[in-house]
Amino acid sequence: MDGYYSWMLISASLVLMMTTPALALFYGGMSRTKSVLNMMMMSFSATGIVGLTYVLWGWLMSFSSLGWAAADPQDPGWDFATLFANPFDQFGLQGTQPANYVFVAFQLTFAVITAALISGAIADRVKFSAWIVFVPIWITASYFPMAHMVWGGGFLSNAAGGLADVIFSGDGSAAVAPIDYAGGTVVHINAGVAGLVLALIIGVRRGFGKEPMKPHNLTLTMIGAGLLWFGWFGFNAGSIVFTSTKESEMITQFTTETGLVWINTTTATCAAMIGWLVVERVRDGKATSLGAASGVVAGLVAITPACGALSPLGAIGLGLIAGALCALAVGLKFRVGFDDSLDVVGVHLVGGLVGTIGVGLFSTSTGLLYGAGVRQLIVQVAVALFAVAWSAAATLIVGLGIKYSMGWRISDEAELDGIDFAEHGESAYEFGSRSGAMVHGPVAVSRQTTLQEQGSS
Amino acid sequence: MCYLSREQSGLMTPLVVPTSAGDTAWLLISAALVLLMAPGLALFYGGLVRSKSVLNMMMMTFGATAAVLVVWVLGGYSIAFGDDVAGGLMGNPMQHFGLSDLVSGKADSWLSVPVILFALFQGLFAVITGALISGAIADRARFGAWMVFVSVWTLVVYAPVAHWVFDFSREGHTGGWLANSVGLIDFAGGTAVEVCSGASALALALVVGRRVGFGRDPMRPHNLTLVMLGAGLLWFGWFGFNAGSALAANHAAGLIFATTLCAGAAGVLGWLAVERVRDGHATSLGAASGMVAGLVAITPSCASVTPIGSLIMGASAGAICAWAIGLKYRLGVDDSLDVVGVHMVGGIVGTLGVGLLGSPLAPTAVAGVLYGGAPTQLGRQAIGVVAVLAYAFVMTFIVGKVIDKTMGFRIDPEHEVSGIDLVVHAETAYDLHATAGARSGPFGH
Repeated sequence: MDGYYSWMLISASLVLMMTTPALALFYGGMSRTKSVLNMMMMSFSATGIVGLTYVLWGWLMSFSSLGWAAADPQDPGWDFATLFANPFDQFGLQGTQPANYVFVAFQLTFAVITAALISGAIADRVKFSAWIVFVPIWITASYFPMAHMVWGGGFLSNAAGGLADVIFSGDGSAAVAPIDYAGGTVVHINAGVAGLVLALIIGVRRGFGKEPMKPHNLTLTMIGAGLLWFGWFGFNAGSIVFTSTKESEMITQFTTETGLVWINTTTATCAAMIGWLVVERVRDGKATSLGAASGVVAGLVAITPACGALSPLGAIGLGLIAGALCALAVGLKFRVGFDDSLDVVGVHLVGGLVGTIGVGLFSTSTGLLYGAGVRQLIVQVAVALFAVAWSAAATLIVGLGIKYSMGWRISDEAELDGIDFAEHGESAYEFGSRSGAMVHGPVAVSRQTTLQEQGSS
Repeated sequence: MCYLSREQSGLMTPLVVPTSAGDTAWLLISAALVLLMAPGLALFYGGLVRSKSVLNMMMMTFGATAAVLVVWVLGGYSIAFGDDVAGGLMGNPMQHFGLSDLVSGKADSWLSVPVILFALFQGLFAVITGALISGAIADRARFGAWMVFVSVWTLVVYAPVAHWVFDFSREGHTGGWLANSVGLIDFAGGTAVEVCSGASALALALVVGRRVGFGRDPMRPHNLTLVMLGAGLLWFGWFGFNAGSALAANHAAGLIFATTLCAGAAGVLGWLAVERVRDGHATSLGAASGMVAGLVAITPSCASVTPIGSLIMGASAGAICAWAIGLKYRLGVDDSLDVVGVHMVGGIVGTLGVGLLGSPLAPTAVAGVLYGGAPTQLGRQAIGVVAVLAYAFVMTFIVGKVIDKTMGFRIDPEHEVSGIDLVVHAETAYDLHATAGARSGPFGH
């Protein structure tokens, strides 16, 4: 299976590209000129931190209780109440079988993007140091256990004693296996809920709902959306799990299933973009490029858990629903009054729920719309609700802990002047007609001059 | 596409080949690379227009991606790759509705890769071809009209042409006329993609008419860094486009990778040389355009030439296209971003170039005139170019006219001057002032 191995190498690279730089560009373009660098830094720093924690204990906490992932296949490590595995079993990948390195790499990139996704909910106003502390604790408390529960044979898988087994018990394991192909619960519901809880803990930006907070550079957002789409093929098509260990059967599965996953990933995304634009056109009169970029992401999010279970027509249906629902959902924050700045909740939580629950409707083998009854739907709803509860509890504890110790917010003054300068000592652009022409010295001087010019004009 | 050499030697493709994990892995990444060309093109085009219309430019590419792919899944793929129903002109439009018959993959088929992946790989070619056209109608087209146009165009122009050029006959399947009866060699789309998009762009530019101020006001690119970023991503994606068209990870893919690389590089040099001699300066816009021109020309010929042949091909395309883009001012056609000058002209250079520079050692194994071959192949290439050019031009003109007469293609001239982004999409691309949104005050918040 050398072909599969080369595909996993490129898939891991593609998914890493989704965070740095794709998500950084996508979020950076949506924020204001004065905070684009901080926005990008939250993605870059998440990569740095999670990349290390994943190699040190993340992989082990998620997978080390499985035979194929254990140092000694005959003697896999323990897992705690099917919630997480022993984090010290192969600490720092000591003793890990070399054949598993590529899976460590691939899974690492998933943890990285999940953490980075959260940052969109707390744009413009958070201490960089607080974010740096939050990421490793949250990823350990919420992501690693949930990856174990869903993909590591834990509580949300089809294992005996798991949630699905409790609902419909089968012959030694769950009668109806929960479906999450590439991370609807682990990645998107998880990040969406964390974004919601953090936005509530941290509070709104100064001027939220009063001043316009327009995206400062939509071309960056569109580059980011395009690169995210490109990277998502690694995310979804790389998530294949083989049902056989015979080489010939593995080749057959690989050369049929990946094609279906690829096409579903694309058609759902196209349909979601159209769904979002139609809602905008009807509601606001204009189809916006921000809507196109957001619709792309909404479709990708929704198809993530479902990409292996749908037909292309089902994927179009799911994508349309996801695009339209997410377009409606992003308006809620103004009515409810939580500042989910870059719509992490509206796109990732709502899109993740649409996809996870939609599998129960659209799955060609077990879906309600294909005449297979409601059992898959019930299992999907239960799994989604449990994931919401787990992530909310973990984020609440970590978020409140930081709030009452080091504090989350930068000062109001720094927020109004711009977090880039306050936290990083830089500003993203220097486009003034005279920049570089005269000896002005420090950046602060030229900033002041600009302000004076505006005052007089 | 991959079985071109067997076609040329008169052998039918075997009905069943074993699936290969390596081939599948390569086609998976190739398809993703071709999709990446869409945002690459959006950046390339977006940087070339003025700052008041960059979002609309990018939206035409993003919108085309969504519309074309949905139409392709529903009916386009069947027209292009279904069993022939009209003497080589089109496939059975209902054969693969929704690709539903391809969902349950078979272990053995006529390809060593999943057929459903092949179907979408081809769909992405339709996306790029459709999106390319938008460059000819920058700054002035209604978004709704564009979305309707590109959907209809996929069914009536691209899908039939793809059937002619790309659908090879095999046991139990009859394909299109240019590929099988004429013997056109167009490996990855010199006619079906480049000439087709260029001729369609010319027709649509005539239907929509010139921009307000064309030939009078300077209409300079607003952000050349975006253009260069876009050109770089296009080159990267083009490896999937050309080498992925081998549909296998084999020697042919390796050679195609090399010729694609060489032609892009030579295209840059050819274009810059013309600029330096004619205008005195080698520009960054010229480098980006020359790269694309070289890549366009190598698209049909990537499996037919040697590395030296690809260098000659790329340099000629760069030089000829650099000259051709000046024609629009003389002819008075506002092909705003030079789709005709680069893609139609470059596509013709590359397609005819197979008949001149083809090497008997390359995978298609046809000797061009310059390699001592007979001029027969050159004639076949010319038939392909003329047929696709004429069909795409006429049909696009008709589709465009009908849309123009019914829903209207142009926005209001006043809105065009004030900027299409704000009028059509209610957005502006940039808000770069250092204090934007910072405090109430200077901007009247």
